[in-house]
Amino acid sequence: MKRNALLFAALLIAILGMLGAGKFLNRVRQHSPTKMVGDVRGLAAPNFELATLDGRRVKLSDYRGKAVLLNFWATWCSPCKVEMPWFVELQKKYGNDGLVILGIAMDDSDAPKIAQFASEMGVNYPVLLGTDQVSEQYGNVEFLPTSFYIDRDGKIVGKGTGLLARSEIEDNVRKALASPIAGMNRAQTSSAAQTTQPAAQ
Amino acid sequence: MTRTWLVPLFGLLLGSPAFSQGPGERVPSVTVAPVSKVQVKAGNPASVEIDFRIGSEFHINSNKPRSELLIPTVLTLKAAEPVSLVAVKYPAGQDVTFPFAPNEELSVYSGDFTITATVRASAKAVPGDYPVTGAIRFQACDRSACYPPRSTPVKFTVTVVGR
Repeated sequence: MKRNALLFAALLIAILGMLGAGKFLNRVRQHSPTKMVGDVRGLAAPNFELATLDGRRVKLSDYRGKAVLLNFWATWCSPCKVEMPWFVELQKKYGNDGLVILGIAMDDSDAPKIAQFASEMGVNYPVLLGTDQVSEQYGNVEFLPTSFYIDRDGKIVGKGTGLLARSEIEDNVRKALASPIAGMNRAQTSSAAQTTQPAAQ
Repeated sequence: MTRTWLVPLFGLLLGSPAFSQGPGERVPSVTVAPVSKVQVKAGNPASVEIDFRIGSEFHINSNKPRSELLIPTVLTLKAAEPVSLVAVKYPAGQDVTFPFAPNEELSVYSGDFTITATVRASAKAVPGDYPVTGAIRFQACDRSACYPPRSTPVKFTVTVVGR
């Protein structure tokens, strides 16, 4: 009987410890500078400025009014290669509706090697050279591929880590396209999408 | 006394936030087993077998991956005089296809693998212990995603004995 009581007390302490640790972890997560951990849906996508493969500078905010699929990838990531032809198709299919896919290469390789790889993969969307800073802004992207789906108003509507099914990616793209810009109706949104400067590589 | 109360308690314990892990929160690891004593006579070579274990569910590229884009596993060692590194021999990779690329065969290591290093003591080496240090650099993936390259330190001691 006494042993059972001791066992019970030990378990109770362990449980309280775990719950305390959980609360502590949550507090740490909530106070992280970007809060880009856990469920990020509804958060504003952090703005960034990155170089394209041909040396131009591009900001995420340049694409306000468009739905953005932000894909973190690397040339050494085999699952990333599987998604790329799907992205090429999705860019063709939904480009006129206002979809912009931005590939963020997290390679240490230089731009010409990444450009050659992107060209061989038939990539038809801008590829940007990733930095540690942009990775941190998006919650320390360590797991490739990782994609963020951003609506026309700059809010994150979905996130995918690891290789997803093509249908799942397309569902997220549709979600990003579906949200109108705040204060605009659907027709105005479509018009805004047409007039936003398209990105050149 | 029945201990049925233990069941919900364990449930609570395992369901607590400290135990929960989402996708992408696992960290790939390659651990090194302690290297057994390496003895070498002055002027002679000796082979050193270094055993590695890859975390379950992960694989890493072999030393000779099938594409130049893939990052090979490389063991870098630095030996202090009078010991020098002669060669590093890697095992052949396993040729594997993964669900994410059924048409692409990759050369990988998974589970346990051994790299053999050959060291040599110079002819004039004074008997004693000499450290060899370095690191294994690897790039790991699981069945749906890949992680940036990481390194694990490697060290062992070579004991030079007289001729």
